[in-house]
Amino acid sequence: MIDELRKEIEEARRSFVHELEGVPSPETLAALRERFLGRKKGRVSLLLARLRECAAAERPLAGQAVNELKAFVEEALAAAPARAAAPAGEWRDPSLPPSRLPAGGEHLIAAIQRRIEDIFLQLGYEIARGPEVELEDYNFTKLNIPAHHPARDEQDTFFLEGHDEMVLRTHTSPMQVRYMLEHRPPLKIISPGKAFRKDDPDATHSPCFHQVEALLVDRGVRFSHLKGTLEAFCRSFYGPDIVLRFRPGYFPFTEPSAEVDISCFLCRGRQDRAATPDPACRVCKGSGWLEILGSGMVHPQVLRNCGIDPEEYSGFALGMGIERVAMVKYGVPDLRLLYENDLRLLGQFG
Amino acid sequence: MKINVEYLKRFVACGLEDGALRELLAGLGLGTEEVLQVGGETVLDLETTPNRPDWLSHYGVAREIAAKDPGLRFTPMDLAAVDLGAPGDGFAIHIEDPADCRRYSGCIVRDLAVRESPPDVQKLLVSLGLRPINDVVDASNLVMMTCGQPLHIFDLERLRGGQVRVRRARAGEALRLLDERDVTLDGGHLLIADGERPLALAGVMGGLDSGITPATRHVFIESACFDPVVIRLGARSLGLKTDASHRFERGMDAEATLPALRMALRLLSRSQGRALKPSFFQDAYPRPQSRPAIRLEKDFPARFTGMDISAADAAAVLQRLGFALRDDGAAWQVTSPSHRVDAECREDLVEEIARVLGYDRLQGEMPLTANPVLRVDEARPRLQRLKARLAAAGFQEVINYVFQSPEENRLAGAEERPLALKNPLGRDFSVMKNSLVPGLLRNTAANADQGCDRVALFEIGNAFADEAGRVVERRRLALSAYGQEQRPDWRLAGREFDLAWLKTELAALAGLLRLEFAFRAAAHPLFRPGACFRVDCGGRPGGWCGEVAAAASGLHKLERPVFAAELDLEALLAGSGERRFQPWNRFPAARRDFTFRMARARSFQELDDAIAGLRPAALESYELTDVYQGPGLPADQVSLSLSFTYRAAERTLTGEEVNEAHRGFTGRLAAQLGLIQR
Repeated sequence: MIDELRKEIEEARRSFVHELEGVPSPETLAALRERFLGRKKGRVSLLLARLRECAAAERPLAGQAVNELKAFVEEALAAAPARAAAPAGEWRDPSLPPSRLPAGGEHLIAAIQRRIEDIFLQLGYEIARGPEVELEDYNFTKLNIPAHHPARDEQDTFFLEGHDEMVLRTHTSPMQVRYMLEHRPPLKIISPGKAFRKDDPDATHSPCFHQVEALLVDRGVRFSHLKGTLEAFCRSFYGPDIVLRFRPGYFPFTEPSAEVDISCFLCRGRQDRAATPDPACRVCKGSGWLEILGSGMVHPQVLRNCGIDPEEYSGFALGMGIERVAMVKYGVPDLRLLYENDLRLLGQFG
Repeated sequence: MKINVEYLKRFVACGLEDGALRELLAGLGLGTEEVLQVGGETVLDLETTPNRPDWLSHYGVAREIAAKDPGLRFTPMDLAAVDLGAPGDGFAIHIEDPADCRRYSGCIVRDLAVRESPPDVQKLLVSLGLRPINDVVDASNLVMMTCGQPLHIFDLERLRGGQVRVRRARAGEALRLLDERDVTLDGGHLLIADGERPLALAGVMGGLDSGITPATRHVFIESACFDPVVIRLGARSLGLKTDASHRFERGMDAEATLPALRMALRLLSRSQGRALKPSFFQDAYPRPQSRPAIRLEKDFPARFTGMDISAADAAAVLQRLGFALRDDGAAWQVTSPSHRVDAECREDLVEEIARVLGYDRLQGEMPLTANPVLRVDEARPRLQRLKARLAAAGFQEVINYVFQSPEENRLAGAEERPLALKNPLGRDFSVMKNSLVPGLLRNTAANADQGCDRVALFEIGNAFADEAGRVVERRRLALSAYGQEQRPDWRLAGREFDLAWLKTELAALAGLLRLEFAFRAAAHPLFRPGACFRVDCGGRPGGWCGEVAAAASGLHKLERPVFAAELDLEALLAGSGERRFQPWNRFPAARRDFTFRMARARSFQELDDAIAGLRPAALESYELTDVYQGPGLPADQVSLSLSFTYRAAERTLTGEEVNEAHRGFTGRLAAQLGLIQR
């Protein structure tokens, strides 16, 4: 019973506050007083009358609650005329500005990574994550970069004290090795994450950076499948009219390999202007092309190292740097800014 | 690699303008890093890749151009007339281990007058970034730039014992190099020695003592092919990197030693003004190389690329590149030219064909491959929801390096075996982080220094540990809050961040993920004693939260308190497993309030624990509804109000039953904790 009563008291309080808001004159104020404090039919009186229905033990508590309501109504009615009489009343200006509530967000790198992942997920790829401290064997040797290979010079590597067989992974490719060792084709994965190279931080280098790599292995996978996949990705990510250019490149773990450029999405992004780059373009610097990623057909030795027969299967792999995307697509001029974590930059994105 | 365009065109008569030439080279995989104009000539600085040592010469680049355009031919210098002579008495070349040195060709030329090179040679070398020294040294440099083969020329009169030996150094042997550095050697270094002592670091740098001087009269010219790994390890161990070592460690053409010697003789003959003829010549080539043929199915290039490549086109390209083809029915047996040390498998040949025909012929097509069982990542949308919640609460994501300073690691507790980098970028980045919070503190300080009065951050990343010799990385979510939670304005009161706010946010996060957090008072070096809680998630330790200890916030001179948490992200994302429908209790609930005074020395946690111990069966839940301190209360007490909800599973409780249960329960609670009911 007491719960029911409490509910009604609360309801009465709400409707009183609501009606008081809408009272414009002393006459209506009097009517409001009657409706709530009227001796016989006032809502407060009616609630008091219902106390009898409560169990004896609950009655004091219930009575206290009704009396509190009565005091509240009386106090509010007493204050109301003064408020109504004041010449300006309370200044209520709906055009006042909204309060500013804080807004957080995603780091630009995380936001880009999520967008790239989303596209590949829609293409039916799975996400595979691996450790950042990786076996040297997976990071290099299994990827056809034997010890003492000059290609290791291009990926200056961090080593750990007391863990001679481990490195900070220099790319996310070792995840591909892990996945190939554990699964049979067909394989269709992306491996996003952090990678590390011993580079002093400057405008275009960071000792810690992010990559997304994709790997597809199946029977009959061709170089043209790589290009088709990249076209699908780039047109989704950079714009529907993007054109790709493949240039021969070298990665020890792919053969043939290709460096991939896209037509500048700013000055050549629209079909009607696609033919000629703008010499003053701030994105492509007038070349009309943007270097965005490396790719190739998985080297047969890498497949063999991972227990896959290259006579039966073939595959492609591609990898892109997320920081590079931040620079090219979002105009961040210096990689170091991405790791300073200044809210003035981070608040612009994500 | 610097290429003088005019010099290049001596070896391939292409009429391309510089821009078109750059485009053609780029299409072959040779990007131009920089275009230089030196003395009126165009020099291209080409980006070469480690698999193509043959590109490190004008010959190599000329061969590529000739392969690309069937109308062009590669025309090396005609050296047929240069006579190397024959082995003579009184001198000999010895290779101690053919594994270290595949070939060593050398000759002796007598009665030279060391002088300046002709002006055109000097100009050419300058354009390639080399300093002309004298005609002997210049000849060896020009040979290397022309055909790629590094030479070394010794002052014959400094050689003792009438011999050169290619051998490993003995431990402790010393050598003063051409750059006047003294090095001490061991068995990892390959030497050129005479009968008595080391003369040169093979394939890397010559010795000062046997170098060419203006007084040199007779010379010994070395043209050799060393093992790549031996050269690389030897040079690296001494911190050396030279034009020669750069080439040798990528693999040199063993067939190039003799043409290179001839070229050197030809250049020297010109500068000396007479046809030089060696008085001694020897070609030590203990195991002439033979390379296995690569089998290439004729349809493989088209099949593997999806490009429209006919067998005839494929064969023509390979032949233009110098590969030898033997027809084997459905396949060719392909033998690489000696300068192509990179070509090992049929896929290498496909790249050659595709690249010379042009990658622009490649048309994209979508693969039909599908994962037969698509594993949908359930954790990912949970992570996105979690991040969205944090963003809505005003937390900004940051990303820091995975390494930090040892001091920062120590904030999160002394480690038995910190995971240190062997070769860090500096002390500030020398250990793998054991906690993400120190990074957040650093970011907080940086933003506070920029005048930001509300700094609420989060980071998702790994914390690392060495556990029994194994590197363990755990994905964590860390949060921090500093300064003003709400800035005061015309409508809202200003509010500083506090621990209760952080715990509320964490509880909200847990609720969003349908998890329950329990906060247990605990101790952790990152947090102030008494303001530190272990966060249990589903009954298991899931992280920490609290007010950051003065030592930690003091590291960055933060003046106001920082509130932070670090949680096990995998536990958050794993969730509580698959759920099934639970019917809810349809019987009415009854609420009873309980307001009482409690000694300040007690904590809510004690109260909570006591309630857990005493709770009657009908108590469904309870919440804290008010805390009062101040006038009307003894100084050592606070007033709390709890609201209890009672409900039975199987029936409606009567008011009397509820009252009885409530009275008995609160009475015992009051007695246990010395509470005074109001």
